[in-house]
Amino acid sequence: MLLPKFDFHAPETVNEACQMLSEYGLKAKLIAGGTDLMVNMKKKILAPEQIISISQIRELDHLDVSGDRILIGAGVTVADLCESKTIAGYLPALGQGANNLGTPLIRNLATIGGNIGSARPAADLPPGLMAYGAEVVLQSKAGIRTLPLDNFFLGPGFTALQPDEILTEIRILVPPAGSGAAYVNIGIRKAQDCNLVNVASYFALDSNGIIQNARVVMGCVGPKPFRAVSAEKILIGQKPDIQLFEKAGEAASADSQPIDDFRSCATYKRSMVGVLTQRTLQQAWTRIKNQE
Amino acid sequence: MKKLIRLTVNDREYDVAVLPNQTLVDVIRYELGLTGAKKGCEMGDCGSCTVLMDGKPVNSCLVLAMQAAGRKIQTIEGIETENGLHPVQEAFVQKGAIQCGFCSSGMILTAKSLLDKNPNPTEQDIRKSLSGNLCRCTGYQHIIEAVKSVTP
Ligand SMILES: Cc1cc2nc3c(=O)[nH]c(=O)nc-3n(C[C@H](O)[C@H](O)[C@H](O)COP(=O)(O)OP(=O)(O)OC[C@H]3O[C@@H](n4cnc5c(N)ncnc54)[C@H](O)[C@@H]3O)c2cc1C
Ligand code: FES
Ligand code: FES
Repeated sequence: MLLPKFDFHAPETVNEACQMLSEYGLKAKLIAGGTDLMVNMKKKILAPEQIISISQIRELDHLDVSGDRILIGAGVTVADLCESKTIAGYLPALGQGANNLGTPLIRNLATIGGNIGSARPAADLPPGLMAYGAEVVLQSKAGIRTLPLDNFFLGPGFTALQPDEILTEIRILVPPAGSGAAYVNIGIRKAQDCNLVNVASYFALDSNGIIQNARVVMGCVGPKPFRAVSAEKILIGQKPDIQLFEKAGEAASADSQPIDDFRSCATYKRSMVGVLTQRTLQQAWTRIKNQE
Repeated sequence: MKKLIRLTVNDREYDVAVLPNQTLVDVIRYELGLTGAKKGCEMGDCGSCTVLMDGKPVNSCLVLAMQAAGRKIQTIEGIETENGLHPVQEAFVQKGAIQCGFCSSGMILTAKSLLDKNPNPTEQDIRKSLSGNLCRCTGYQHIIEAVKSVTP
């Protein structure tokens, strides 16, 4: 299967890569794990003239807790997320997404930056990341800016990333005590499929056991992963229980905007949003109770 | 334009001139003549092109050869020792886990990397780790049994 013709660059630092991007602009594409870009080039959907590899840039490989924040380099692979104790301990909903992404072979190549950068509405990592309130760090020759991940996605394959910018890091506040989150996806099979619906939920309790903050994020049911705002409104100010989770599920269903496609009909996806919202809230609640 | 890169394959260093748009599987098969890694879907779906890169199984149809420069690559040709076949290879022969053989290189390399990391996996671990390697002859049961037979 022929790939388009391009030049290949392998800068050693983010600064060098930014320099190249500012030179080549729209003619260039970054490649990390390549599991999205290579397929798009083979299918002749994309034909960049310049390919800038970032998989050899060591600055992008870190995964640390620094003060009250968890910092994840954009080059961290999905397999690394699956094996990380930091992720399992602090961000289990992200770990669930990582464990359900692709196949073990794909996970060894695929990066978190590439999963965000490809901006697929069905991607496995964005819902968990958005549920934790993640921010992304974008760097160009001109400097560095940060953006809530909520504002990063614009539509299928479209993001707020400028042609000369690199996503370098994902930042997440260490979730407070009394908070929990979970992610559930459904598809046709366990491995090697595209999600039909995926949902991540997060909530945090105050000292009286009242939900003070909640985020419910739905994938596959709109042009980008997005928040179920009415479900969040129902949760905040209440004590968690099954009836409340059911009501939140119904609200999330109503917020979703699924379409009919060859994978399934919109009606099915809409009702699954309700089921997965309930299940993720229940799992998040169990996680909170297990901390006590 | 072709560029000279150094690839380490099966502990041997090769200086090869490659095009920027050549995939690792193409270079391994057509430039180095190591045809154990197969080309099936070429889209990351089937796992027949599996090689180990720094010990981890990857789809070599999704890796640019230039991205593999400086990494340690192992193919099916490189896991035999002076004592003969690798235990996983031997088990595949003994348990009838090879039918047409198209998936076998990938299956064996993925299983080897699992056993290197976890010498005593459960059947579920084995199934999960092989879930990116498809067998069009559908010989899964014998393949799982072969891998199980190598565990203590
Ligand atoms: C067989 C198969 C199964 C798959 N299954 C799943 C699945 O179940 N769930 C899922 O979510 N995805 C799946 N994918 C898609 C893909 O593997 C993931 O999205 C992966 O995380 C992409 O990461 P990558 O590093 O390989 O990206 P690349 O292909 O290297 O890059 C993807 C895009 O992001 C851009 N990019 C990469 N890194 C950066 C950066 N640091 N800054 C700015 N832009 C960047 C690239 O320019 C490119 O446009 C699958 C792919 C295949 C081939
Ligand atoms: S040929 Fe590479 S995964 Fe099928
Ligand atoms: S033995 Fe034929 S594909 Fe597996």
